[in-house]
Amino acid sequence: MEDESHNNILPNGFNTGSTESPCLKTSTMTTQHNNNNNHQNHSNKEQDRFLPIANVGRIMKKVIPPNGKISKDAKETVQECVSEFISFVTGEASDKCQREKRKTINGDDVIWAITTLGFEDYVEPLKTYLQKYKEIEGEKLNIPKQLRSEQRLHQHQQNHNNNHDENNNQPFNGAYASSNLISQPPYVPTDQKFSLPFSPNSIQNQLRQQEQIDSVGHWYE
Amino acid sequence: MVMAEEEESGVSIQLEFPKGRVKKIMALDKDVKRVSSEALFLVSRSTELFLQFLAEKSAQVAIEKKRKTVNLEHIREAVKRHQPTRDFLLDELPPPSQPTKPDRPTQPAGRPKLDPPPRGTRRIDLFFRKPELDDPAQAQPPENPAQAQPPENPDQDQAQSPVPVDES
Repeated sequence: MEDESHNNILPNGFNTGSTESPCLKTSTMTTQHNNNNNHQNHSNKEQDRFLPIANVGRIMKKVIPPNGKISKDAKETVQECVSEFISFVTGEASDKCQREKRKTINGDDVIWAITTLGFEDYVEPLKTYLQKYKEIEGEKLNIPKQLRSEQRLHQHQQNHNNNHDENNNQPFNGAYASSNLISQPPYVPTDQKFSLPFSPNSIQNQLRQQEQIDSVGHWYE
Repeated sequence: MVMAEEEESGVSIQLEFPKGRVKKIMALDKDVKRVSSEALFLVSRSTELFLQFLAEKSAQVAIEKKRKTVNLEHIREAVKRHQPTRDFLLDELPPPSQPTKPDRPTQPAGRPKLDPPPRGTRRIDLFFRKPELDDPAQAQPPENPAQAQPPENPDQDQAQSPVPVDES
C-alpha cells in the first residue's frame, strides 16, 4: 500500500514504479545516524548498507586539493549518497529487466539505466572499462586472486542461467564455457598461479564475503 | 584492503569498492534476482565515477567559500547544482537547519553566497516530495504549490523514520 504512494517520478516523466520504494523509504531519513530501516533484509548489519568509509574517503581525497580536508560528517553523508546511487541505478535496471521478462541484470541494463537517470557522461568511460574487462576475462592468468575468485562465482551463475533463459544469451558463451573448463572450482581459492602479499585479515575478509554471498540464497537460483 | 593490479598504464580495471558489498547493496532491492558480473562491474565503476564527481564539486564549493575542509553544507550545495543528482539525493541529505558541528556556525560573510536560505531549501524539498505523496499515478502533476502541505497522507504522516512495510 505504501509502496504505491512512493513512485519515483523523474524529470523526464518516467515513472519507475514500485521498485524504487526501497530508495524512497530511506529518503525520509533526516539524520545520518537514523539507520534502523532494516525491513528489506533483517539479517543485514548496518555497516553492510554502505560502502566502506575508508574507500570512500580515499577516493574523495584523490579529487580534492592537496591541502584540503574532509570532515567526518561529509564522509558519512557521501557514504549514504553513493549507496543511494547504487540502489537508484539498480532499481532502474531491474525495472527494465522485468518489462522485458528477463531475470538477470546485465551490463546493457546498467548502461541504459545510467543514461536514463541523467548520467550520460559516465557511459563512454564505462564502455571503455567494460571492453577492458572483457579482454581480461580471456586472460585468466593475469587476474588477481580476489577478482578471479569472484568471477568464477559469476561464471557458475552464467552457466546456470544459460540452461534456463535463452533470452539471456551472451555473445561470449564459448569463452565462458572454455574458461569454466580451465578454471578451478569457484569456492576453493588458490594462490598457485598468482601470489599477492595478502594479509591474514584480508584473506579472512574475503572468505567472510563469500559466506555473505552464500547467505543470500537467491543469488544461486 | 586488497588492491588489484593495474593491467595497463592507460586503462585501469582495479576496483575501489569491494564487490561483495556492492552486490549486497544491490540486493537490498527485493526485485533484483540476479546480476551478471558485467553489471556488477559497471555499477561499481559508475559508483566510483559518481563519488569522484560529488567530491570534486563539493571541493569546488568549499573553495568558493574559502574553506579547506569539505563539510556537509558543501556537499548539499554540490548536490543541488546538478539536476540528476539532486533528483534522487536531495531528500537523503540532513535538513539544513540541523547544525552539523557546534563549533562551526555559519558565518554571515558566507551566507549571501547561498542562493536559497535554509527555509527555502525546505520548500524545495517539499516541492520535489509532494507529487510522490499526493498523486503517485501521475507522472507530471498539473500543479504543485511549493508552500502547500500535503492535504492527507493515510500511509505516512511526515514521519522521519519510515514504517517498514513488507509487501511480500
